[in-house]
Amino acid sequence: MTMGRLGNAQPTEVIDRGAKLSFRWNGKRFGGFEGDTIASALAAAGEQVFSRSMKYHRPRGILTADYWDPNLLVQVGDDPNVRAGHRRLEAGMEVSAQNVWPSLRRDIKAANGLVGRFLTAGFYYKTFMRPARLWPAYERVLATFAPGGKIDLDTPHRYHDKRYMHPDVVVAGAGPAGIEAALAASADGARVLLVEHEHAVGGHLRYDSRDTAVAALAELRAALDASDVEVLTDSTVTGRYEDNWLGIVQRSHPVAVERLIKARAKTLVVAPGLIERPYVFAGNDRPGVITSTAARRLINLWGVKPGERAVVFTANADGDAAAADLDRAGVEIAAVIDGRQGHRVSSTQGSPRAVEAVVSGGNRIEADLLVVAAGWTAPTSLLNMAGDRPVYDPPAARFFAADPPGNVLATGGLAGDGTLDELRAHGAATGRLAAQRAAAVAHRLQALTARAQPVGGEEPPWAPDDRIPLGRDPHPELYRSDTHGMVDFSEDVGSKDLMAAAGEGYDSVELAKRYTTATMGPSQGKLETVNTVAAIAEARGETIAAVGTTVWRPPYAPLTLGALAGRGFEPVRVSSIQPWHEANGVHTILAGQWIRPDHYGDPAAEVRNVRSNVGLIDVTPLGKLDLRGPDVAKLLNLLYTNKWSKLPVGKVRYGMMCAEDGVVLDDGVTGRLGDEHYLMTTTSSGAGGVWEWVENWLQTERPDWRVHVTPVTTAYTSINVAGPKARELVSRVTDGVDLSPEAFAYMEVRTATVAGVAGCFMWRIGFTGELSFEIHVPAGCGLHVWEALMDAGDDLGVGPFGLEGQRIMRLEKGHFIVGQDTDGLTLGPSTGLGPLIKLDKDDFAGKPELAWAVGRPLPMIVAIQPDDPNIVPAEASQIVAGDTNQILGRITSSRMSPTLGRSICLGQVEPELAAGGTKLTVLLTTGERVGATVMDHHAHFDPTGERLRG
Amino acid sequence: MLLVPCPYCGPRNSVDLRYGGESQPRPDPATATPEQWRGYLYRRDNPADWLRENWYCRSGCRRWFTVERNTATNEFRHPPMPGDKRGGKA
Amino acid sequence: MGSLGRRLGRGPAKYSAAALVWRGLRGGQWPRIWRDAELKRSYDAVIVGGGVHGLATAYYLARNHGIKDVAVLDKAYLGSGASGRNTAIVRANYLTPEGVAFYDRSLQLYNTMATDLNINVMFSERGHLTLAHNDSSLRTMHWRAEVNKLQGVDSSVIGPDEIKKVAPSLDTSSHPRYPILGALYHPPGGIVRHDAVVWGYARAADCMGVEMHQKTEVLDILCEGGDGTDGKGPGGRVVGVRTSRGDISTPVVVNCTAGWASLISAMAGVRLPITTHPLQAAVTEPVKVFLPTVVVSGSLHVYISQTDRGELVFGAAVDPVATYSIRGSLEFTEELAGHVLELMPGVSRMRLLRQWSGLCDMTPDYSPVMGFTGVDGFLVDVGWGTYGFKAAPVSGEQMAEAVATGRTPELIAPFALSRFDTGELVGEKGAAAVGH
Repeated sequence: MTMGRLGNAQPTEVIDRGAKLSFRWNGKRFGGFEGDTIASALAAAGEQVFSRSMKYHRPRGILTADYWDPNLLVQVGDDPNVRAGHRRLEAGMEVSAQNVWPSLRRDIKAANGLVGRFLTAGFYYKTFMRPARLWPAYERVLATFAPGGKIDLDTPHRYHDKRYMHPDVVVAGAGPAGIEAALAASADGARVLLVEHEHAVGGHLRYDSRDTAVAALAELRAALDASDVEVLTDSTVTGRYEDNWLGIVQRSHPVAVERLIKARAKTLVVAPGLIERPYVFAGNDRPGVITSTAARRLINLWGVKPGERAVVFTANADGDAAAADLDRAGVEIAAVIDGRQGHRVSSTQGSPRAVEAVVSGGNRIEADLLVVAAGWTAPTSLLNMAGDRPVYDPPAARFFAADPPGNVLATGGLAGDGTLDELRAHGAATGRLAAQRAAAVAHRLQALTARAQPVGGEEPPWAPDDRIPLGRDPHPELYRSDTHGMVDFSEDVGSKDLMAAAGEGYDSVELAKRYTTATMGPSQGKLETVNTVAAIAEARGETIAAVGTTVWRPPYAPLTLGALAGRGFEPVRVSSIQPWHEANGVHTILAGQWIRPDHYGDPAAEVRNVRSNVGLIDVTPLGKLDLRGPDVAKLLNLLYTNKWSKLPVGKVRYGMMCAEDGVVLDDGVTGRLGDEHYLMTTTSSGAGGVWEWVENWLQTERPDWRVHVTPVTTAYTSINVAGPKARELVSRVTDGVDLSPEAFAYMEVRTATVAGVAGCFMWRIGFTGELSFEIHVPAGCGLHVWEALMDAGDDLGVGPFGLEGQRIMRLEKGHFIVGQDTDGLTLGPSTGLGPLIKLDKDDFAGKPELAWAVGRPLPMIVAIQPDDPNIVPAEASQIVAGDTNQILGRITSSRMSPTLGRSICLGQVEPELAAGGTKLTVLLTTGERVGATVMDHHAHFDPTGERLRG
Repeated sequence: MLLVPCPYCGPRNSVDLRYGGESQPRPDPATATPEQWRGYLYRRDNPADWLRENWYCRSGCRRWFTVERNTATNEFRHPPMPGDKRGGKA
Repeated sequence: MGSLGRRLGRGPAKYSAAALVWRGLRGGQWPRIWRDAELKRSYDAVIVGGGVHGLATAYYLARNHGIKDVAVLDKAYLGSGASGRNTAIVRANYLTPEGVAFYDRSLQLYNTMATDLNINVMFSERGHLTLAHNDSSLRTMHWRAEVNKLQGVDSSVIGPDEIKKVAPSLDTSSHPRYPILGALYHPPGGIVRHDAVVWGYARAADCMGVEMHQKTEVLDILCEGGDGTDGKGPGGRVVGVRTSRGDISTPVVVNCTAGWASLISAMAGVRLPITTHPLQAAVTEPVKVFLPTVVVSGSLHVYISQTDRGELVFGAAVDPVATYSIRGSLEFTEELAGHVLELMPGVSRMRLLRQWSGLCDMTPDYSPVMGFTGVDGFLVDVGWGTYGFKAAPVSGEQMAEAVATGRTPELIAPFALSRFDTGELVGEKGAAAVGH
């Protein structure tokens, strides 16, 4: 067979014969025109074989000449699996065949074809079991047969963008019905988006050479241009999700590689047209067998002559039109076989690379081209995704929409058949219905939004669907001829495989699909699902309607991970002091969304400086909730395990929160700033969660309590000034507060002006074990106050310290960290803070479980010191029973203490090991077992807390 | 992307809210037996049917509210109510 | 016919390379993988749910205990639920000693499954990496590694350089928004062809006389003597099952469903600690194989593996909203793609081909509910969340023992339903969160 370019320009062609493009195919130079697809340019140059099939590596040529063509997947540069039937040719493209070795021409894996009778679908389930140790080797062999192109892992993630849209009506498919729907909806005042998969609107009109079609297309295009409809070409509606949330991929975009559009459509019109279905017979995958729409596209869009001498197997008007186009293009018509008269094609003959003859009714007809028009598949995917279960209509030989939800309307081929005028009229009626219903949806949405503009007027009625239905043309049911052939071209699954699978018990479509992998390849079932169903039906002796079909899943057309990911935009949180940190050698650590200072080069030195002089740490991510109202104390009593009713103004108290199952949820200090004004702090990681917890209680269980909650975590920059010289430093920059120990004791809070900034809160708390003042500065002034403290404390030896230094000092004082020393099962009493759990209070969160836990031996958090002071066990080292593998606990926090010059830990141990002085065995991660001792107190350093109360 | 009907903000994309789960009446902690309390903590009706459930409008008005949703079809019904924790199966 | 054929008690249907060649030469149809039997009016035991758990339970009842008068009922086709939708990752690197012991037993059974069941389940031991992107996560990886090692399971924590050697396509630099700090590396983990496991158990059970009934929906469980209405509820006992094809009398009903566990259990008057959430997955077009290991990131909520055909298979965490609708969402694919490209920036040109979802029954402690329920004769093997597939062999083995002996086997005692009355929950939350 020889394809070639037609000398005369075709009236409907989209190529620009004046604009030549050159490219490479498998290393060889080729030429084409602007407007060609990769496949049409190669076909025009006489190429016949474009790929080799997955399993048997049979040569494959053009089948449908569009996006869905399973034989036209090629590698373009670093882009694998490009659809050559759709991708437009560009100058300089490097195109190559996929999965062939050594070359497309002489592929060694075609030897598979020789053993085809043994390599039936699913053969691998029945072998390769023994010897089991060879399976990895078998796998490697199977992997070399894997289809698909090559991915270059150094491919940069180029620019992808996303867009949100809020159209009233989205029309998927710009054939004549779809265009009319868009125009009508727009004329009715709706905001309309029209999405077309191909590079230009028009659907099947684009490759219809008849005068009426050409004129209609021109008319429709002009009307579209004159309208307000937004049109996207080379774009596909990939999925219809809950409540008409649509994913749309826009492939041709001037800037982005591919763009994902997310649209909440009020109504969706589905008008994808029909996809021509291949016919199943022996030799149906030989290069030279093409569908009728492929023939018409080749001739009318790209001026390609598909062959010299053709047999046309036609069962419908489009097949007849293809015969006319072929004739006009100078192709000799050797025979027209009419499927409506009961005639069939049985097989093709020839070399693996080309058709040489067609066998029908026992006769052998010489030809190099077989054009097949056996019927249509309705691509009902978007309707399926909307919950519809399409129904098969035997006289029309295809599926139709059954009962989609009211905001999804089908038109065009999905709805029925008719003349061009009838299809256009149905489309227009659909557009008007879509617009009316969209208006009703808009009204309802606004009415549901209490705080929006009051919605005007009555809700428009939900328009009834009184469109005149399209008819259904009878069509012979042509699925399989009297021979067996290929059903899934991508997966090399034939009708014989499917019927054998059904006979073996894989006799539902879902089981057969999984067993043979039919419909699971890159064409996503568009060309093979109905033939698969038909094969199963035949094997079971049932009708297609009885067998049913598979569930169509999104995306309707594949889209890149890049488009789905978009720009990779992820927010980062930093405090106002970040510029200072960065300028001063900070090593940062990620804590949730926050970037925090971990240390500035030497955490041990930072610890020593804090304990001898004074240090500053930026603790801005500390959760802060401003609580106001007459019932705040009640709230604190409810959420913390201890008592809060008598906390005087100006005092601060530590509290632990438990969840309703008694598990430790969070902890922190809360201070009373005024009669009805408190400031609660939480852990940094718990900030958001505790706020929601508070709101949940107030809104749903205690709605009568008067408490206002304002999260102020990021409204204040929080600076902790710690060390024996802390008071001296803070006094140098503070106005309005008497900082002497008698006036401002440990665990008290004051409002102050710091470095000229009014409205700062300052409290004396001490998790590091040193005298410390924690200053909360309105965030805009945070950096200023930090710098002021640094300047003022120069002669005092002030220096920054980070999370690592703070962690060391906290551990020296034995303060447990929620979420590190506690876990998802740690009950309140296990923290050692049993005395803080006041069971004589009324209801508080966790009380019932905490009450029932009394007297029950629980795992306990304890302070531990390894016997060898130089061994610092890794966190999560297990505590074991002697030489056995029995687990008795684990190390949860562990550091070398610069203050004590030895290693210190916190851990969880079984209740019987919790007493001070108990000897433990710690299994280091190296495998070595070492001795350790449980300490009497959690604090390894200054257990009575003298230093911080000063 | 489910549209969830917040009573104040109107129908919003579900990612803007946090799902709060089946509405369960909280037993009286003073009188509940351990089995009753743990039934409240752990056991659920989990129907494939209309369910009374709670949502938190996390990115909008920050109010908790209760709605009835059919867990098989994801339809919502009844105007949503300010948060309350009355029983599960609607 | 061989010993397998004799043991299975049926004709020469043994799978092997020789048999493939023989049939290839001779032509002819392989026999049905399981019989299409008539539904009887009574059975010694009825198993609800024709997925891997139900089928494995049936298999072990017949094989280990000689109980063969068993019907497995499924309202659709075998393996149509979670068994056919999961991403088929098997591993034993859990957090608690009881979890590790349990899943390790399962992994051992997977290793010999192909020969035990005479079907190639394509168990591919390719290693399992759980990435840590922050301190807290890295600590949890250490915790898991230490517990695993004590149980004799091969797991260790490795750093970015070693990770790069195991999976070169990962970005182990400091560039990503959430850089990789380390990973839990578990060489014995891998993937398996999930459908083949379903078919293997079904075929083997069928050979021993168990009946498989597809398109048979359980509409009610008939009980007597219980506290609730119609004799259901604690204190009662099972007398039969009402199905869409008629009533069956039986003293034993085992609930092995996923997604329907609450509904089936409610039929016996049992209220479970379960909420049902969709779990979504997606697959790309095939490309040449480049990823040799299973990669999971707990912090990024994503897992990635590559099939022998070259498709990348992705999964994530369960959907946040409890629903029985499994239509899938766009935001799942968006978040997933974002996280995958964080880990492997080089795959941005690969195209997503298909997304699907299944239903997961989530429990408060990320551990299943197995064993007795307080209704005599009604047992459950449910609450499997996102980790059910890997546990199928051991679950089947243990549930069969529970049914046959009337006692809870030690290995599954921690998973008893009664733990939700006593408050003794299992601490697996750290390990099972994502990562299947």
